Amino acid sequence: MTKPLEVNPLKLSQPMGALIAFLGVKNSMPLMHGAQGCASFSKVFFTRHFNDPIAIQTTAVNDITAVIDGGDYSISEAVKNITLKVKPELIGLFTTGLTETKGDDIKGVASLLKDEHTIVYAHTPDFEGGLESGYTKAVEAIIDQIVVATLMCEKKITIIPHVSMTPLEVEVIKEQVELFGWSVYALPDISESLDGHLGEKQGALSSNGISMSEIVELGSSSAVLTIGNSVHSCGTKLCNKNKNMKHIHFDSLGGLVNSDKFYGSLMEISAVAMPHSKTIRWRKRVQDALLDTHFILGGKQIVIAAEPDLILSLSSVLTEAGAYIKAIVSPTKSSSLDSIKTENKIIGDLGDVEGFLDKETLLITNFHGERLAKKEHSILVTRGYPNYELVGNQLKNDLLYEGTAQFLFEVANCIIANSNHH
Amino acid sequence: MVNKKQIKELLSESACSHNEQKKSSCDKPKPGATSGGCAFEGAQIALFPFADAVHLVHAPATCLGASWETRATPSSYDGENNTFLGYSTNVNTHDIIFGGNQKLEESIEYIMINKKPKAIFVYETCVTAMIGDDMDNIANRMEIKYNIPVVVVHAPGFVGSKNLGSRLAGEAVLDKLIGTKEPTEIHPFGINLIGEYNVTGDMWQYTPILEKIGIKIVSTFAGDGRIESIQMAHRAKLNVIVCAKSLITLCRKMEERFGIPYISVSFYGKRDTTNAIRSIVNAFGDEELSRKAEAIIAVEEEALEKRLLPYREILNGKKAILNTGGNKSWSIASALQDMGIDVVATSVAKSTLEDIDIAKSYVKILMKSPANEQAKLIDEHGVEILLAGGRSLYTAIKKKIAFVDVNQEKKISYGAYGGLENLAKDVCAAVQNPVFSIVGTKAPWEKQI
Repeated sequence: MTKPLEVNPLKLSQPMGALIAFLGVKNSMPLMHGAQGCASFSKVFFTRHFNDPIAIQTTAVNDITAVIDGGDYSISEAVKNITLKVKPELIGLFTTGLTETKGDDIKGVASLLKDEHTIVYAHTPDFEGGLESGYTKAVEAIIDQIVVATLMCEKKITIIPHVSMTPLEVEVIKEQVELFGWSVYALPDISESLDGHLGEKQGALSSNGISMSEIVELGSSSAVLTIGNSVHSCGTKLCNKNKNMKHIHFDSLGGLVNSDKFYGSLMEISAVAMPHSKTIRWRKRVQDALLDTHFILGGKQIVIAAEPDLILSLSSVLTEAGAYIKAIVSPTKSSSLDSIKTENKIIGDLGDVEGFLDKETLLITNFHGERLAKKEHSILVTRGYPNYELVGNQLKNDLLYEGTAQFLFEVANCIIANSNHH
Repeated sequence: MVNKKQIKELLSESACSHNEQKKSSCDKPKPGATSGGCAFEGAQIALFPFADAVHLVHAPATCLGASWETRATPSSYDGENNTFLGYSTNVNTHDIIFGGNQKLEESIEYIMINKKPKAIFVYETCVTAMIGDDMDNIANRMEIKYNIPVVVVHAPGFVGSKNLGSRLAGEAVLDKLIGTKEPTEIHPFGINLIGEYNVTGDMWQYTPILEKIGIKIVSTFAGDGRIESIQMAHRAKLNVIVCAKSLITLCRKMEERFGIPYISVSFYGKRDTTNAIRSIVNAFGDEELSRKAEAIIAVEEEALEKRLLPYREILNGKKAILNTGGNKSWSIASALQDMGIDVVATSVAKSTLEDIDIAKSYVKILMKSPANEQAKLIDEHGVEILLAGGRSLYTAIKKKIAFVDVNQEKKISYGAYGGLENLAKDVCAAVQNPVFSIVGTKAPWEKQI
């Protein structure tokens, strides 16, 4: 029976996705156009996940401005108050359910302010889509509104990671592409802003990331590399800025096969016959890791509840070692889920996960799964937003050869540790 | 529907001492310069600890998706603990256009049939207030059909701050629950604990002591709370406001309506805990009760002193600066002093006038702009411990002194006598931890100063 309501939500909202995108731009101020609570909840949410301060401001729409203001008062007032204290290089303006219900013309307001401030605007109501689509809309907006069109190609590659990739994963992909001799930019680049580093000062703006001048020039990339189904359209957008740019897309970079494809494409566009010797060594380690863990993971029942691109990535790794994906639960629809072999594909919430759990099953989801796993005696591996309990979320890597190997070991060890207790 | 008259009344609460002057936390939030939570969050904080009620949030994704299972408010309820569960109607585009009434009604029915709660709280939010869903009507019909209270909380985020939201939650409970059930017997020393949410089990540090003295906790709003007991709250003899001031209107109205007087106390630190117990007992004016209380206080204080001894040896005379907000500016200062720490300065940047007055009686230097003042004060007074929020961490590392994050969600209770020992343990651990000076070490490629 389908239930009329959400029980224990898995879905995170579009504005929260847009927030992550803007946090990957250096010296930016994400500005959420809504009531103060939308921004406050999101700030606390990501502060607790990353254990670091999160830059965000709100237009603080109240019950009066909700009715009599079309957005121009509260947005321009917010921009004025922000710039009194700090000088952001970018103001990332994005909407919420409240301001889309009243139908504010943010494009109009942004164009009124554009002479004095650099503003990117995105429509991200939280009554449609989810974390992935909100992030994608913000990235598309940045490309549309900032990147300059060109026909020139430089020895440069742009990476567009999906929203569930950790700061370290973004860094790892950048490094691997750099090994082939390219200058590499990630849009957005959370590897330098949300990676949890001790800074001299905790400023009100995003602490680091891709700079505005770098974004302007992204059109001259020889190729754009998109990772995750949800950001495929961002690659298309960037290619619209330069018809000579190549678009290379990967639905996932988890597992041996996907990693092979990644290095294969890089060898092709870089015209090299051999990757770095380290890469070759890590591939052998993954082969070994798959063999070492397949005794434990083979046939193991797995339930994954996460954002679609993350589900695909994690399941790609585990199925290579023979794991059986019992069910996947995603908060939103996505073609990422099409290729996953499982009898139970559910668009739903953590309430829908409960029925699939027992003591033979391993659950992979965010920290909200803890209570659930305990209740049903399942083993839990935490992945995805939010993780309030564990530390070091920003430095996990489950991608390419090295990440695949480490993830296989982590899951296998979880199962071993658990079976020893019984 | 949102009740504008009620909001106006709550914002000019006559029982607030600062009412004569302007108070910032009750102002409309300023675009681009606001950091606090909204009214919905305030309502959620106040009511979610009722573990035997289902909390249904009528909203799109952000309101609950980003906020459920975030507060450590334990409950002893042996049924399904709804405090940590999230129920949302997940309003979508279709609902915005055609209205969310049907979805809300079906959701309430689903909960009634599948969860059998003691009550359902339905939270109105910005979007559902804008589209004008007739929530009261649906709630009334469902309440009659299932004979279980369905309480609509009209605190959509855009009406104001967290504080206002807690007040609106108080109004909803007063109107719909308090006084709807009669107890079988009325205890002569029955109290309600108001504004105590039992964060990390704070409340459990002192309720056993109160019970030992002979005081009965009739109901709590809402730490480890139960619907049935709040329904009988009007038969308590005293309302005790614990720290948070937001529910003062509720207490004033309960005094007017049921003749229940109220007092305001804090259970942080030894002195304040003892004072709190005395205030409660004195309110009853019963000699036997007072005698018993004094005897138990003496035993508790002595036992605490014994347990604090090893920490005192380390902490005694150590100088500290406290940089936090609200009532913590004095309540934690008092607790620190109770373990022998010399609190050099405390911040009053985010405190009400009343809090500033109290802070004055505990600490000599009050910092109005702590970010600019604390570094200097650390040098001038040879301060060894900085207790502050994460933003001040770098100051401590630069000065190579111990740091305690007092604004972080705490995992363990600092409340009452038992909590003071926990706090002492944590401060000691910070003082003895080499981590701050190690992290502050210069890298080999940085110039040594």
